Amino acid sequence: MALEGQSVSRLRKDLLQLLPLLGNPESVVSAFPSGDNMLEWTGTIKGGKGTVYDGKVYKLTLEFPSTYPIKPPVVKFMTPCYHPNVDQQGNICLDILKENWSSLYDVRTILLSIQVLLGEPNNDSPLNADAAKNWNKEVYKKALEKFEKEIAK
Amino acid sequence: MAAGGNVEVVWSNLMNYLTPESPQLLGTLDSLEQLRQNPRVFTRLREWFLEKCQKDLKDESRPQFWSNVQQSEVEVKGFNTLLNAVSNLHRSVSTYKPFVELLQFLTGALPLRNLNLQFEGLIKAVIFCEIPEQFKSMVHAFYSQAFQAYQSINRKEHGQMDTSGVEDEGEDDDVESLICVGCAEEKDCCHCAKIIEGFSQLNSQLHSLGLMKKVAEPAFLSVIHREIQRRIDEKCKGEFEASFLASLLHWIDTELCGWLLLIFQTQGHDANSMTTSTEISLDDWKPKLHYFMYKSFADLRISELFTIIVEYPDSLPAIQDLKECLEVTDQRKELIVSLRSAFERRLLHPGANTSDILTQYVSAIRALHVLDPAGVILEHVCTPVRQYLRTREDTVRCIVTSLTDENSTELAEELMRGDPRTIDDLGACDSEDDDDNWMPAPSDADPDKISSSRKAPDIISMLVNIYGSKDLFVSEYRTLLADRILSSFNYDTEKELRYLELLKLRFGESHLHFCEIMLKDVADSRRINSHIQASAAKSENTKTDTIPLTAMVLSAVFWPAFREEKLKVAEEIQRAMDEYTRGFEALKGMRTLRWKPHLGLVEVEVELADRTLSLSVTPAQATAIIHFQEKERWTLEELSGVMHVPPGLLRRRLGFWISQGVLKEESTDTFTVVEKQKGQQRIPEVVMDAEVESVMASSQDQREEELQVFWSYIVGMLTNLESLPLDRIHSMLRMFAMQGPSSSQCSVDDLRRFLDRKVKDQELQFVNGFYRLPKSGR
Repeated sequence: MALEGQSVSRLRKDLLQLLPLLGNPESVVSAFPSGDNMLEWTGTIKGGKGTVYDGKVYKLTLEFPSTYPIKPPVVKFMTPCYHPNVDQQGNICLDILKENWSSLYDVRTILLSIQVLLGEPNNDSPLNADAAKNWNKEVYKKALEKFEKEIAK
Repeated sequence: MAAGGNVEVVWSNLMNYLTPESPQLLGTLDSLEQLRQNPRVFTRLREWFLEKCQKDLKDESRPQFWSNVQQSEVEVKGFNTLLNAVSNLHRSVSTYKPFVELLQFLTGALPLRNLNLQFEGLIKAVIFCEIPEQFKSMVHAFYSQAFQAYQSINRKEHGQMDTSGVEDEGEDDDVESLICVGCAEEKDCCHCAKIIEGFSQLNSQLHSLGLMKKVAEPAFLSVIHREIQRRIDEKCKGEFEASFLASLLHWIDTELCGWLLLIFQTQGHDANSMTTSTEISLDDWKPKLHYFMYKSFADLRISELFTIIVEYPDSLPAIQDLKECLEVTDQRKELIVSLRSAFERRLLHPGANTSDILTQYVSAIRALHVLDPAGVILEHVCTPVRQYLRTREDTVRCIVTSLTDENSTELAEELMRGDPRTIDDLGACDSEDDDDNWMPAPSDADPDKISSSRKAPDIISMLVNIYGSKDLFVSEYRTLLADRILSSFNYDTEKELRYLELLKLRFGESHLHFCEIMLKDVADSRRINSHIQASAAKSENTKTDTIPLTAMVLSAVFWPAFREEKLKVAEEIQRAMDEYTRGFEALKGMRTLRWKPHLGLVEVEVELADRTLSLSVTPAQATAIIHFQEKERWTLEELSGVMHVPPGLLRRRLGFWISQGVLKEESTDTFTVVEKQKGQQRIPEVVMDAEVESVMASSQDQREEELQVFWSYIVGMLTNLESLPLDRIHSMLRMFAMQGPSSSQCSVDDLRRFLDRKVKDQELQFVNGFYRLPKSGR
């Protein structure tokens, strides 16, 4: 119980940290406790400008263990997401949520990391091979176009 | 039968005998005596007699009487007409009277109704079965004239008897007028005496006719009522500084009753007259008159109560009078209704100043406590006042200001005098029950309220309880205190400490802890100042031209929010400030200072070509003028850039110097120094912000800020959870946003208003009881 109390008070702090982003319509991430249980949150991520996800909005769930922030939360996409590092169940492959977790991370940094991940997937460890393959093509195509343009000059 | 066959004879004898015109009155008593032996015959006889009377009255007296009265229609003065008509009637009816009495006498013990009464009834029924309005007003006029005459005669007598004057000081007929008040004739031919004579004649005649009650009573009653009313209106209206009840009672007992005595005296003349049942004695009348007087007086005072309260301490006698009246007349309910509506009409409208409303409220508390120590009236009347005050934004500020303002004595006195009773948030404490002066609560008391809350009025707690909590007051006091400290800037806290001690007695130590720290900050600042100045003096050799600077070092946590304003001070000031900071850091080790350069007070001396001004100004004003030292001409934009002050605000700051004649606006937005005042050139009128700006952030600003924080939470909720109903939003806010000890509260209603405003601004949508964010256009 003592630990849970700690996790809740830490989450309160996380919420306060997040507050400036909540009220700002320009912010790309947002999250809020889903209900009376402080350990379950709902998050929202907007696709980054200039990426293929621009204009898309994704909902996520964040489940915090009672040992948070010693242990990382389980974060999943609720909105189906086609992305090299997201599987069909919405599981996310992100190092900071697994082996590289640090108790210095908070809800804000987690969400911002995921938002960045959307635009810059880690294709070395794909959960969605199809997406990874296509992503590579996409990047390749972009790189090619860029190269052509340089030549044209 | 004794008379046998000659009944016929006896009957016809009787017929002749009982006709009023016949002269032989005592003749045939024998036959009557005989008739009396036979009750049935006698009864018949009576019946016949009454019938005969009725016929006569109907055929002769009635037309005669009314035609007499009718004549007066052309005549303005009905006085003599009435007198004549009544006396004619009296004469004609009188002729029947001996027979009536004779027959009644003969009736003896027979079980028959009193013939007198029957005869009187006959007169009433036949002649006065319906009294025309005109006749009524005639009688009324008669009586009121008689009263006037009576009064004027009375006065003359008094005047002759003792010139010192009776209690009625300064009757207005001291002024020698040629017209007699009594009869509206010239004094030389005053016929008041005649009027009185006719008056008593009429009275006695009406009396003997048994018509007093039917004809005269309504008239003289209304005259009396009108006189009482007039007396009260004349003497007491608008006069609250003296008690009137005793003198009014005296007046009724002497003058009015004297006049009534004239009316009733006539009874005494013929005590054995036929009236026995209509006997009215003066003693029966007195209580009625007194009651009427109390009632009229109470009516007047109730209608004036609002004004009485306005003049409260001076109008105490009026309130005591009213209290006495209420004990007699039981008009509490009317009083409450009337005063409530007076309050609503005259006080609780946007035109009234909050301070006026408060003053009146305080007076009302005091005055109504005198009127009704149980406080029930106060409770009923002042509920709307309290409700209204709650809706005014500056109420708390007004109360706190007047509490600690030595100029507005009332409340400050109350604070000092008051027995140290801590204010109860609940307003009730169950001790001090066994009180020797215990009185049952009045019948109209609200049984839900505990009686101890109606105890002696503790005005301050009543004011504080307008809001039902002292927190608001304490925080307002804190703001006020901060304002005072920072605007006077003189480190003199003795007075404030005194008030703080007094307030602590009322509000409890813990609530005023912050204020105590604030005052302590001031004292500490003074010490720090002297310390830093001393150490600066030691190292004086470095620079000599530093600007002397003292600071107020405030513990940020304990002070209310300040008004924020950007200001970049001049170089040399900044240097002095940095110097001070270094001194402070040396003194306090790990701590440093965060300056609020826009707050404070600057002593400046402005030396111009032909004059020198010394002024105390705000830092912004001082900074503005310093810049003119290096350059004579500044445009608003340049200066705003240097000072980091928005142009609009800066213009107002410069306005101060223009009004001092130091600067002038050469052309639009360009300002220069006026080195020489040319002649008597008038300084152009400059629009100045006359009101001294408060140092503190206004409570409204603070509230806005809080709501803005809530709004962030709400957007966060709705972004992630799509749509939520009002109560869910509120409970979420309570859980996540209103947790800390310092965080503000927001009721469901407040929240609804806030959200509805957002809906109106199209920042929010409200669908099917759920709030949601509008779909972003992107």
